[in-house]
Amino acid sequence: MSARNYSFTTPKPCKHLVDYKLKHGLKGYNLIQDSLICGPYGTSMINKPKSEIPRCSFCSGYNGRFYMCLICSSVTCRIASESNHTLLHSESNDSHEIAVDIERAELYCCVCCDQVYDPEFDKAVVCKKMMGLPENGNGGIEGGEFRLSKRKRLDFGADFDLKSVKRLVLRKKQRSKSCFPLGLRGLNNLGNTCFMNSVLQALLHAPPLRNYFLSDKHNHERCCRKSSSDKLCLPCDIDVIFSAVFSGDRSPYSPAKFLYSWWQHSENLASYEQQDAHEFFISVLDGIHEKLGKASHAIKDKEDCQCIAHRVFSGLLRSDLTCTSCGFTSSTYDPCLDISLDLNISASSSSSDFTSKPNETIPVSTLAGSLDLFTRPEKLGSDQKIYCENCREKQNALKQMSIKKLPLVLCLHIKRFEHSTIRKMSRKIDRHLQFPFSLDMNPYLSSSIVKKRFGNRIFSFEGDELDVSTEFEVFAVVTHSGMLESGHYVTYLRLTNQWYRCDDAWITEVDEEVVRASQCYLMFYVQKVICNKGSDDMSCQPVLPLADPFVPIAGYC
Amino acid sequence: SRRHSVNRPPTPDVRDDDDDRPKKPSLLEIVNIKLIESGEKERLMELVRERLVECGWKDEMGALCRAVVKKNGRENVTVDDLVRAITPKGRASIPDSVKAELLQRIQTFLVSVAH
Repeated sequence: MSARNYSFTTPKPCKHLVDYKLKHGLKGYNLIQDSLICGPYGTSMINKPKSEIPRCSFCSGYNGRFYMCLICSSVTCRIASESNHTLLHSESNDSHEIAVDIERAELYCCVCCDQVYDPEFDKAVVCKKMMGLPENGNGGIEGGEFRLSKRKRLDFGADFDLKSVKRLVLRKKQRSKSCFPLGLRGLNNLGNTCFMNSVLQALLHAPPLRNYFLSDKHNHERCCRKSSSDKLCLPCDIDVIFSAVFSGDRSPYSPAKFLYSWWQHSENLASYEQQDAHEFFISVLDGIHEKLGKASHAIKDKEDCQCIAHRVFSGLLRSDLTCTSCGFTSSTYDPCLDISLDLNISASSSSSDFTSKPNETIPVSTLAGSLDLFTRPEKLGSDQKIYCENCREKQNALKQMSIKKLPLVLCLHIKRFEHSTIRKMSRKIDRHLQFPFSLDMNPYLSSSIVKKRFGNRIFSFEGDELDVSTEFEVFAVVTHSGMLESGHYVTYLRLTNQWYRCDDAWITEVDEEVVRASQCYLMFYVQKVICNKGSDDMSCQPVLPLADPFVPIAGYC
Repeated sequence: SRRHSVNRPPTPDVRDDDDDRPKKPSLLEIVNIKLIESGEKERLMELVRERLVECGWKDEMGALCRAVVKKNGRENVTVDDLVRAITPKGRASIPDSVKAELLQRIQTFLVSVAH
């Protein structure tokens, strides 16, 4: 609906704002700067003495919104459209047309009776806010990274060596029901190992990971680590699985060697008991990193780890602590391989249907709701006061998470298993979570979150990362059904616009609705630019460098 | 006869100097002023904001606003239009728990300032 790269476009100023600017320039804005203070949520507001309540110069009322005239500083009130004294003010004072909303530090046109926007005003507000604060602990002025962000280098994780990859192009219409794409193969359950099978299916079809192993970047026959003392190399075992699954052989495969290797890697999880799929996922990535990453015990370098696990899954989370007294924010950055989200339990259905009765809201949890919850500012309790460098004392604080850098493949983990150490029991949350097949992560980026913190501003800062790709497509969903201890994991894979259900050794085609209705636990999204979901017309497409060469083959069963 | 009404003296006019005298503040006004001056109103506003965000009310209102903008076009919507559009549903969908909590807080406050 909106233009892809812009989360906003600057609205045109009304003629009153234009007139005001011509006559007064930035004088009024700069004067306002002196009266700006930090509000309770860190947003700017016009200072008003605490002991006095703002009163309208016309009616002495104290209800509604208050606006301060930019020309004469008189304050008038407006109660929606019932009573508008700002309009009266402009009518009784020639060219007193532009005012500032006291509560929000936002521009308002008294004649148009509407909010107006001026990047120069916002700049004045934002600048004042930041000038008053010292540099934060990370050496940069909070939110003041005016430099343009570097163009994000898309790292495919592997250079595609087309020579070593078979190219098969066929028409989709000829595909018969029993023909599955290459790389779809059932995995035998070796004793409660559905947690492993489900995650393996997702990894086998994560485009950058698949490309890496299929273009022979880690060949288990040539790997030198085999000759090392421990003879343990998870990447080798994974390479074996890739070869087996993409060999064309459709009979279910038993990943026994891999299971054995993984047991050796994660001794504490080695048993025939059901394990947590998410825990398994993290431990596999850890196993890959151990062998392929830089010296694992080295002090954290400035450079990012270049092992395939990190290149594909690693993102960067930003955590901000804001002092509620002065607005000073300190940020820390932590790498992550996935994002764990709470279910948005208290959601009411956000239907835009005016006619629905107020008591009929059905609680619906959505992925967007969970992501909102994740990035929502959280008020820390008064027992968790932090030391504010600016105030030089302990203050109440707000904590807020955001995503600084998105990975190539985004793994979203839904926290369905609640473990209570106090009550020594665990329970599973069965609540259904609605999730989209196409996901735009833009609202959860640090740049978006920080922008919102300054209130309603038409001002781009932090480079706005216009060239960062934030659109993702789902390609695998690991679902859990049943009870905590005795449940079952099943993975749904999306290959060239068709969904497949992978239940251990059994693979079947399913409709979208089945996937939407499932109980998602781990969701795998890949950046849209590096996946090709396959268009409807697949007749003899030229193979682009980014295209998926593994398109369905009619007659190949 | 029952026609006393005809013989009733005329309704007294409101005297003009009443308008010049500052109006005596009503009880409601006094309470409100006390709330603001003590800073309690700001705290209550913060509490209400927090609760309405937590329960998803704010998101719901946001969605309603977006629907209005979508229907009428971005250039044709003012803040007043949005407020007018969402106020009925907004007021009606405030959870009872939030109302109860707020009333409780105000009650506690009133008791404390009465002394």
